[in-house]
Amino acid sequence: MIPIHYYLILSILVFGIGALGVLTTKNGIKLLMCIELMLNAANINLVVFSRYIGDIHGQVFAAFIISISAAEVAVGLAIVLMIYRIHGTIDFRKIKKMRW
Amino acid sequence: MLEYAWIIPILPLISFILILLFGDKLKEGGGHVAVAFIGASMIISLLCISDVLSGNSIEIRGINWINWEGFEFGILVDSLAGLMMFVVSFVGFLIVVYSLGYMHGDDGVQRYYAEISLFIASMLGVIMANNLLLLFISWELVGLCSYLLIGFWYRKPSAASAAKKAFLVTRVGDFMFLLGIIVIYIHFGTFNLLELFDAAPNLEGVASGFLGVSVLTLSSLLLFGGAVGKSSQFPLHVWLPDAMEGPTTVSALIHAATMVKAGIYLIARAFPLFTPVSLLVVAIVGIITALIAAAMAAVMTDIKRIIAYSTISSLGLMTLALGLGGYAAGLYYLMNHAFFKALLFLAAGSVLHATNVFDIRHIRGLRTKMPITAATAFIAALSLSGLPPLGGFWGKDEILIASFSGGIIFFVMTLIVSFLTTFFTFRWFFSIFMGKPNEAAKHAHESPKIMTFPLIIIAFGVVLVTLPIFMNFEHWILSWLPILTLNKLHHAGHGPDFVVPLAVSIQLIALYLAYNIYCKERFTSEIFIKRFGPIHTLILNKFYLDNIYLVFAERIVGGFSFALNKFDLGVVDGIVNGVGIVSMRISSRLRKIQTGLVQDYASVMLMGICALLILLKVGGGL
Repeated sequence: MIPIHYYLILSILVFGIGALGVLTTKNGIKLLMCIELMLNAANINLVVFSRYIGDIHGQVFAAFIISISAAEVAVGLAIVLMIYRIHGTIDFRKIKKMRW
Repeated sequence: MLEYAWIIPILPLISFILILLFGDKLKEGGGHVAVAFIGASMIISLLCISDVLSGNSIEIRGINWINWEGFEFGILVDSLAGLMMFVVSFVGFLIVVYSLGYMHGDDGVQRYYAEISLFIASMLGVIMANNLLLLFISWELVGLCSYLLIGFWYRKPSAASAAKKAFLVTRVGDFMFLLGIIVIYIHFGTFNLLELFDAAPNLEGVASGFLGVSVLTLSSLLLFGGAVGKSSQFPLHVWLPDAMEGPTTVSALIHAATMVKAGIYLIARAFPLFTPVSLLVVAIVGIITALIAAAMAAVMTDIKRIIAYSTISSLGLMTLALGLGGYAAGLYYLMNHAFFKALLFLAAGSVLHATNVFDIRHIRGLRTKMPITAATAFIAALSLSGLPPLGGFWGKDEILIASFSGGIIFFVMTLIVSFLTTFFTFRWFFSIFMGKPNEAAKHAHESPKIMTFPLIIIAFGVVLVTLPIFMNFEHWILSWLPILTLNKLHHAGHGPDFVVPLAVSIQLIALYLAYNIYCKERFTSEIFIKRFGPIHTLILNKFYLDNIYLVFAERIVGGFSFALNKFDLGVVDGIVNGVGIVSMRISSRLRKIQTGLVQDYASVMLMGICALLILLKVGGGL
């Protein structure tokens, strides 16, 4: 059996890539994709711990999170679309109306 | 009938509300409504008074305003209240009828009738209250109506400022009245008048801790302070002459017959609380008022101001009588005064209505043109002058006898007042009605019937109110007083025999003098003015009291207010604005951290979580 820290390192890498992407990207679509990466890093953790503890609940949660994130992406894409329509761009660096 | 007495003040109040709401749609601005309601109120009060005359009295404790001991509002009808009810409702009704003629065609009649209804309601409230608090509320309402009605022609600057003056000057007294009520509540624990009088003997000699005077002296003097303001006694008398800026009907009703009597009523009502010390103060204030006002009345030339000063003088005599224990004498004079002074004002109003001349030197010989006015004015003047046989004579003689018991100084000063009173009364009457008609009088016409009718009725009233002196007036009016209080009184008719003949002969000299100067014009008053030049100037300038008050208000009160204003603008506002300015400066820097960029927020969040994790790790939490 593969030791647990292999999985955890994978999960950390995926999460780190996602977080870095969220903080650095300019593109709205890429931002959404990076959020998905972070979510799925969490999913990996859930499945791994579930397998090691022998409790099926973690895998059930993972299945829920996948379906809910699908919905969330749909909403997120709709928001990005509306931002494009209104501002003519999806560059998040240029959208800063919500400030002083 | 007495159990329905509470309706009496309610009816004018309803009339006030009706006229306020619908007066603009009614004829004469709702004047007929006012006449109907006040007339109904008068009929009920006359029925109640006939009950009171047969020796009944009643206290109805009605509304529990606040659930606290001594706060029950109700009415108290006894002989004193009955006397005042008679004056207020009867004179009030006739003056409202007279107003239908006098105020006809004025712009603000709706306002006039609404305010006069409210005035009569609140005046009846003052009289019938069983409770100091209700009395005070009505007292303030009466003051408000007086303010509104003095300033009735508010576009005239003099009327507007006279209204303000009256309000401010009486406020000094009202403030003392309120303090008195507070002192009474602290020591007695009740506002109810009858409970108060029952408790008064127990507090005899208890020190109040203020300047070493006793509780009773302090509270009675504070109440007297209220009376000084309302009844226009020295040194707060300055507002009443200026109050003549209002319509003449208002002068007759409020500033002669009723409201200014509220102060006298308060002294009479709170009489069981007065101690010998406070009664002496009352008497001294009374005689000073009577003397200076009579002197001023003798030199003024305005047709209404002369009567106003004579009102102050008469009020001073009533105060003097009460202060010297001539309780029945003071109240008998009060009742007579209400009638003859109202009549005098209404006659003056009739003259003004016909000629619009205010200076008595510019109008002569009206008796042929206005016979009814002249005849009724003569009856009133006769009563005011204190010559026999009308009520003014009997009342003034009782006061003279009471003043004789107070000492020679009081007696001499009262004699001087009698002399001056007779003199200025007939100076007024002879100047206007006797002699050859001049230019102003030739075009005059007798006033309409709606005005002469009340004149005649009140003239009958003047004659009628003379009668109680022959009945058991003193016994009746004293019937409500607690037995212990009766010891403080001076009983009528117990004076030396020479007092009355002496007073009458002095008054006849005054009459002779006035007759020769103003009726026959055998000689003029110029010789007296030359002889007593400085004194004449002093009196003509109202003893410079107005100027003293003005300087006081401008220099001392104004300077103090100026300093306070600076303090408010500089220190208080400075602190408040400083707090605002500091927080605005800080926030204008701080708001820059809100960049509006999503990724900035996300990175701060991430850094925060990292920092938390590191802290927990270092702290050993993980």
